[in-house]
This record gives sequence, C-alpha cells and structure tokens, in this order.
Amino acid sequence: MAGSVSIRHAASPRGWEAERRHAFLFGLAPSLLILGAITLVPAAALLLISLTPLNLLDPAGTFRFDDPLVNYRQLLDDPRFIGSLWVQVRLSLSSVTLQLALGLAIALLLNANSRVLAAIRSVFLIPMVLPPIVVALIWKILYTPDVSPLHRALEQIGLPLRSLIANPDTALWAISIAETWQWFPFTMLMVLAALQMIPDEPLEAARIDGANRLQLFRYIVLPYIRPVLVVCALFRLIDSFKAFPLIYVLTNGGPGTVTEVTNFYGFIQAFNFSYWGYASAIAVVMLVAVLAISWSISRFKGSDGNERHD
Amino acid sequence: MNATTDTLGLPPRGSAAEHDVPALRRPGARPLAWLHRHGRVALAVVLLLVLMFPFLWLVQIAFRPAEGAFDDSLLFTPTLEAFRALLEGNFARSFANSLLVSSLSTVLSLAIGVPAAYALTRWRFRARGRVALWILITRMAPPIAFTIPFFLAYRWIGLLDTVWGLALVYLTFNLAVVIWLMQGFFEAVPAALEEAAWIDGCGVWSAFWRVTLPLAAPGVAATAVLCFIFSWNDFFYALILTRTQAVTAPVAIVNFLQYEGWEWTKIAAGGTLVMLPVVAFTLLVRKYLVRGLTAGGVKD
Amino acid sequence: MTTAIESDDSAAAPVLSADQAATAPDLGRRRVLRAGAALGAGALLAAPAFAQGAKKYAGVVLNVSAFSAPYQKLLRQWLPEFEAQTGIKVNFDTPSFPVYNQRVDLELSTKGSGFDVVNVTFIYSSRWIQSGWLTPLDDFIKDPGRTTADFDINDFLPGARAPETGRDGKLYGVPWTAEVTISASSRFDLVKAAGLAYPDTTDDLVRTLKAVNRKERVAGFVTDNHYGWTFPPYLHAFGGDVFRKAPDDLYPTLDTPEAIAAADYFARLLREFGPDGAVSYTPDQAVQALKAGRSNFSTLGQIYLSQVGDPASSKAAQTAAWGLVPKGPAGRFPGTAVHGYGIPVGSKNKDAAWQFIVWATSKTITRRAVAAGYGSPSRRSDIDADVFRKRQVVNGYDIAKLCTDSIELSGKQGHMKYRTVSVYPQVDQQLNKAIELIVSGQQSAAGAMKQAQAAAIAELKRAGVAV
Repeated sequence: MAGSVSIRHAASPRGWEAERRHAFLFGLAPSLLILGAITLVPAAALLLISLTPLNLLDPAGTFRFDDPLVNYRQLLDDPRFIGSLWVQVRLSLSSVTLQLALGLAIALLLNANSRVLAAIRSVFLIPMVLPPIVVALIWKILYTPDVSPLHRALEQIGLPLRSLIANPDTALWAISIAETWQWFPFTMLMVLAALQMIPDEPLEAARIDGANRLQLFRYIVLPYIRPVLVVCALFRLIDSFKAFPLIYVLTNGGPGTVTEVTNFYGFIQAFNFSYWGYASAIAVVMLVAVLAISWSISRFKGSDGNERHD
Repeated sequence: MNATTDTLGLPPRGSAAEHDVPALRRPGARPLAWLHRHGRVALAVVLLLVLMFPFLWLVQIAFRPAEGAFDDSLLFTPTLEAFRALLEGNFARSFANSLLVSSLSTVLSLAIGVPAAYALTRWRFRARGRVALWILITRMAPPIAFTIPFFLAYRWIGLLDTVWGLALVYLTFNLAVVIWLMQGFFEAVPAALEEAAWIDGCGVWSAFWRVTLPLAAPGVAATAVLCFIFSWNDFFYALILTRTQAVTAPVAIVNFLQYEGWEWTKIAAGGTLVMLPVVAFTLLVRKYLVRGLTAGGVKD
Repeated sequence: MTTAIESDDSAAAPVLSADQAATAPDLGRRRVLRAGAALGAGALLAAPAFAQGAKKYAGVVLNVSAFSAPYQKLLRQWLPEFEAQTGIKVNFDTPSFPVYNQRVDLELSTKGSGFDVVNVTFIYSSRWIQSGWLTPLDDFIKDPGRTTADFDINDFLPGARAPETGRDGKLYGVPWTAEVTISASSRFDLVKAAGLAYPDTTDDLVRTLKAVNRKERVAGFVTDNHYGWTFPPYLHAFGGDVFRKAPDDLYPTLDTPEAIAAADYFARLLREFGPDGAVSYTPDQAVQALKAGRSNFSTLGQIYLSQVGDPASSKAAQTAAWGLVPKGPAGRFPGTAVHGYGIPVGSKNKDAAWQFIVWATSKTITRRAVAAGYGSPSRRSDIDADVFRKRQVVNGYDIAKLCTDSIELSGKQGHMKYRTVSVYPQVDQQLNKAIELIVSGQQSAAGAMKQAQAAAIAELKRAGVAV
C-alpha cells in the first residue's frame, strides 16, 4: 500500500495539498454551516424583530416597519433599562473581583504536594459544576431568615441579621456573594494550572538569595500568572452577563429593581407581556456589548504573541 | 504536563525552620512545629468545611422528615420520604428528559465539532482568527438573544417542547466549547505523528481516526463531560422552550417553589438528585477536567 | 487503547433505577387515595357520574395548569378518582402565581397546545378572552352528551360568571373561586389585652397596630407581595383609583394625591409593623406567619385568611378574629376576584379537557371542598349550604357573612372594574414595584408612584392603548 500512495505524494505535492485542503474543508464545513444556521440566522432575525413593535397580542398588526427605531428610542427613554445597565455593571464588577480574589487565594493555598490537598482541590470544583438552579436554591435557603442556619445561628448569639435579599442596600451584594461562591473554582483551576507551569529556576534562585514568601509571590509568581488572571477576568465578565437563575429565584429583580440586570429586564419584557420587538432591541444591545468584549479578548490574546492567531 | 496536578517545587512549610533549630528544643515549639508542618492542610480543611457548608446543608435537608425540615437539632433520623414524595410527581420524567437531552446534545456537538476542531488546528487558512472569534461570541452570547428567534422558529416548525429542539439549541454553546477545547488537545498531539501516517499512505481523516484521536481520547472524554454538564445545567432555554413534554430537571424543581411554605424537603431532594450526575461526573473525570478547562483558557 | 475515563473508588451515588421510579408513584397513589377517601368520608357522596360512562377517554393525557392555591391542593388529592373513572391521565401543574401567569400567557400567546386546561386568572381574563386565546364553552355546556344536567351552570354566581364572559356574550371559563379580601387578626387576644376592639377604619388600624406591634415578638401586620392585589383596597379607601374611569378612560391615575397618600399609608403598615423581610412574602409565607402566630393583622383573600381558623393546621385558631377591610376616608372597598378553568384555543383534547372542568367544578367536588374547609366557593348552593356556613363560623366570627357583605359592596360600588381591563396586568406589575420601592425605603411614596405612573403610561402606549 505504501508504494502507490507515496509515489502519488511524491509526484504531486500540490495535489496532496489540495487533497488535504479538501479534507479539512469537509471536516470544517458542517460545523460552520450549522453554527451559521443556529447563530447568524437567529441573530439576523433578532435584529429584524427589534425594528418592529412586535407584540403577540396582535402579531400580524404589529409586525410592521413604519418606525424602525421606535424600540431603540424607547430604550433610551426608559429609566428602568438604563438602571438595569447600571446594576449589571455593579454586579459584574463586584462579583468578578471577589471571584478572582478568592480563587487566587485558594489556588495559592492548595498549590503544594499532598494527597489531602489534591482531594480538596477536587471537592472545590463542586460549586462550579452544580446546576445553577441548585446553587440558587442553596442560597435561597441561606438567605431566608426563617429557615437559614446562618440567620438562626446569628440570632442565637445575639446578632440578629435582617433579611439580606429583602434589603435594597444588600440585595445586590447577596447575589454577588452567591455568584462568587459558585464561580471561584474557575479562577482557582486556571491559576493552579498556571502555577504549575512556573519554571523552578527563578524561584530557586530567589529563595537562595533569601527572598521571603511574599516577595516570591510579588516579583516572580504574580507576573507569571497575570495574563491568566486577565483572561479569567474577561471570561467571567462575559459570563456574568448571563446571570439568571440566581436572580430569578432569590430576588426576582427586586426589591424594586435593585437587582434587575439587563438580561433579566429583557426576559421580563419578552416573556411576561410578549413585547418581543422591545425585548429584541434589549437583546441586540447586549449582543453588541458581548461582541465588543469578546473582540477585546481576542485582541488581548493575539497581542500576547501567541502563535495561534496568525 | 503531568497527569497529576501538583507541586510547584516550593519546599513544604517550615522546612527552613526545621533545618535551623531542632524543633523540640525551643520552648512551646511542639504546637508551633505542628502548625508549620500541617498549617497549610489544616487551613485548607477549615476552608473546605466553610465553603462546602452551603452545599452540605442543602443535601442534609433532603433527608429530613418534612415537618422537621428546619429543626435546630443537627441529629435526626434520615428518611427517604422527600425523595419518595418527589418521584410521585412528574419529577422522574423530567430527570429522564434531562438525561436524554444532555446525551443527545453531547453526541451531536462532538460529532460535528471534533472534526472541525481538528481542521482548525492543522489547517492554517486566513480567516482562522475570525472563525475563532465567532466561536467565542457564540459561547458568550446571552441566551435571551437566541431564545426569542428560536421560540418563534420552533413555534412555526413545531419543535417547541421537544427533546430534539432543546438539543439543537444547546448546540449554540456546546459546539463552541467542543471546538475551543479540542483545539487545545489536538495541538498537543505532535503533527509529526500524523505526517508519518500520511507518508505511509493514510488519508487525512483516516490518519486522524487512527493516530490523532486515540492520543486525544482523554481530551474527548473531558470535552464530552463538559458538554454534558453544560447541557444538564441549562435553565434559561429549558424554561422558555419547554412546557410539559420535554421539561428538564432544573425547570421541574422550580415548579416546587409553590405554596404551603414551600416544600423545602422536596426542593432539597430535587436539588440533590439534579446535582448528582454532574458531581459524579466531575469527580470521576476530575483529572481530565482540570486539563480540559484550563487548556482552553490558559494556553490561548 | 485504554479507555479514557478513569474509574475511581469514590464513585457516584447510583441514579435511581427504572424499577424504583416505576413503583414509587403507585405506592404514593394508594396512599393518596386512602387520604382522599378519609377526607370525603363524612358525606358518603357518590362519585360524580359522567355522561358517557367510564373509560371513554382511556389513554388521553391532559396537561392541566393552575396557580398554586388551596382549591388546587384539594383537587390534587382527589385526582386519582377522576383518572380512575375516565381513564384520563392528568399532569397537574401548579406553579406560583406570577410564574403561572407568565408561563400560560406565553403559551396562550402562541396558541399552542401545551396546556389543555388553564386557570383563567382574573387580571388576565380580559386579555386572554379578547385576544381569542380561549375556547368558548357554551357549546360544551349546552350539549347534554358532554355535560350532565346536575352541573347546573346557573348555580355559579352571576357575579362570578361575568368576568369569564367575553364581549360576545360567550362564557370562556367556569369559576372555581369567588375571592374576597377581608381582614384578620391572628392574635386578637393581644388586641383585647391592650383594651382595643377590632379596628374598623384605617385610623383604627394604625392605632391598634401601634399598640400591639412586637408584643410577644408578634409582628403587627403582614400581607403578601402581590401588591397589585393587596394594595387597591387601600387605594380606593383613600379616594384614589388605578384608571381615570375604567373601562372607558384608561388614563392611569397613580400619582394623584389620594394615590400617594394611600401608598404612603399602606407601605407604612409593612415597613413599621411588618415582619423582617415582609417585602418578599408570598401568600403562603404570609399565611404561615399568621398560622404560626408570628404576625398579627392581615388583609388577604379569605381563601387564605379562613385557614387561620383551622385548628388542625393553625396555632392561632383559638386567638383569631376576622373583619372587613378597613374603611378609609372615601369608603370601604374590598377587593374581589374570580378565577375559573378554561380551555386554550390550541388544545388538542378539548373534549377530555371539558370533562376535567366538569368534574373539578361539579357540585360533588365543590361540596367536598367546602366540607374540607375551603373558604371561597363560587356556587350559590355551596354558599347557602349548612356545611359551609358552619365551617366558616370560628370564634364567633361569621367569615361567610363577611364575604357576602363584601361581595355585595363590590357589586354596588363597581370598584373592581379596573381589574378586568385587558391591559391591567402591566399596571399591576408597576404597582408591585412601586410599593416594593416604598416599603424598602428606596423611594418616597410620591417618587415611587410618579415613577409608576410614567411607566404605566409607557406600557399602555406599548400595548397600543391611546392615552
């Protein structure tokens, strides 16, 4: 078998190149086509719908294009929408910062040779892989004063705590904490992996020179893991836009609208009263934001000198 | 990269102290030495208990009798009452739906995405960067952006409230995950091995099947597990696109947030059941999970 | 080639085997049947006879959905009887009120076949009927082949049938409840100890609450967070209203001085006298708080407040008292609501769905419910029945009379017209948010109500109403 084909290869390297190219196209095409069908087409449809005042009370009548920008104009005038953007920013910033801090700290702690620590590392994965609705239930129990062990314990030692999710000042923080608990393993994992790749020599050299633990961290470890932290932060940032089950179960956007993020507001508009034109406009705005941040991720990793992006 | 996730090469805690002064000779040294030697582990264990407490609390509620769900006593006779009550409703069916949809989605994503990832790895064509960006966006896009058009389309085609419909929608994020992760795993396979196979006369895809895939098999497994977990955990799409036939477990639990002071033991039991497959998978495949998750994020 | 997945000793707990999943429902069903029989044992009633005999619908699966309420809870226990007689398998889904409305509104808007029987929620009835999303039931009712004579549609209160009737005069839902807001005190002994009587006016209420709040760690006042329902009695009592003149003039009037005064008063009840976290209390949580004696006063539907007098489940049964909603400067305006069972226009099992409705609202079942303590019947015969009257007299208070008085007031004053406006649900949500904001101290009454007014106008415009 070797003979004929290798002669073929030797005889026309360009033929082999073409054959390779076709083979790759064959492997890539189905997925590109399907991805196109399930992402580009719906996105285009979304854009289209956002230009109409589509409302399912009267679908035929409201599917009209006489005033394409009506939804976007209303969005600008809508204080609830602007408020939701603000809430989203606050939630994302606080949550991502806490996740990074906690994940980093735990990664540093667990980064040593020990079977116990290895087992603990595995157990710490649990919050991240739990179904988000289960996480929401766990924290619903913890935040409901009547049934929460935390509230009851605090009450017994004489420090009664009022309901965190019913208080507008603390509701967003409560959600932030729940989200941090859920996602710190992500940072932990990525930092752990990066810590393993730090070469030994600089560390040995510094230790011989008498550097203490803190200096080791600040001058050697941190520069190495900084890119990982940035990538982590960007990933978590985008994921934080999708926060839904926690809000749905814990506060339903309230009290008032203090935990109503943009995603949730879109959901309410679309699926409570079927204002699909308006909700589509909200979704388009979110998509544009996601696009911008994703683009900056790819730009950042490209500028890292990585050979992936040629 | 080792298969085990450990050591940085930092010496264990307190070793410097141990070298300097024999521990026992200093006053009060024994507990201090113990702390130095085991401090890290002790702190980790404490942290573990604190951080896992919320999770464990939910699980233990599931085993309590319904009336005593929030009794203060930590000791109680565990009962399977809540689980039994749970299965009398439609929960078992929603659990089966979850299994079905997640498996289907995983198989579909792998079947379509693995060849694509391979092609993207080995083939350097000009638009690669843009394709990568597109894949990233689809994974990152908020579900609300897709649910509206999908809802309308499914209503028209008749895929609302069906297992296939959900599995198809899950492709929007799973396909991206597969392509993204498998690229990392395929890159770790030296191209030289494939080239050797090509020289021996294999076509591109038969070389892939015989050489690359077996070497990347752990990666495929890790990716499959991740796809399964992501599909299993989805809430938003299932909430909107299912009614009664294809309702999945996470949505079914929300149905318990009802009346009569919320049936907490049933909710806890439901939550425990819903998380079991996912936690089980994670623990089984944890070594590869680490590589799977971090290979995608860090190496890029 | 080694397998990719490593096995591990710390393997997962087993997922339930198919056997276990199959037998569990049967065990449960037998137990429930026994419980159901015990409940109906008092009156040895014959099971409702069906027009065409049993098993005509064998193999049909019905998807029934209604929001979680006491009546549904009772139905769920008796469901196996219905299934045994007709061969229909019923998937009975009862989510919470807001979740139910959202899901069913979405499903109905697509004219889908996901549900066969739905609860026609009061505030949505106009929206759903006028959009043509429900099936007219007159043909079913008139057909003796599908409806037995003793179903007697005219036994249902005319006032209860009215909201279920469309502009075309056809009936789209069979009412299962005629709900009325009344007031109650779970710890009336504390009031008496303070030397006060049952409060009649809004001023009385505040005075009484000040006297008993936090005595014996009992919060003064509680209500559920569907403020679009619990607030209007106070809104009207202070002289305000939701629309200028429903159903003709739909200009919202949420920021009038009367409305602001009412919002301020109501929010104060919750803020000063409410339990911790009151703003997140669902109806069930509110009822639990009352039954456990953790909160004292409340204005809620009698479907909930009558339960406080149930000695089997309520610790406060001995110390409870009931009254009408407080009278304000402009009068007394108890809220009334009607919910019914209807058939979506897209259902594929309309005949079987109708059989379910006939059963669920039949005289036998409603009488059984009333005997079991259900407090909001919609049938005249049940309201007049001895068993209902006797059950509803607790501690010397005649709850049934309070309800009929309230219904009469509502009929005379016509103050519930705002609620059956088809765009009211949007305004309902604005009221929810506004009161939430005031109770949680994020905004003043004036600020929140003005915001609600602006948002309501925007919503109405988006819904195509000319304001």
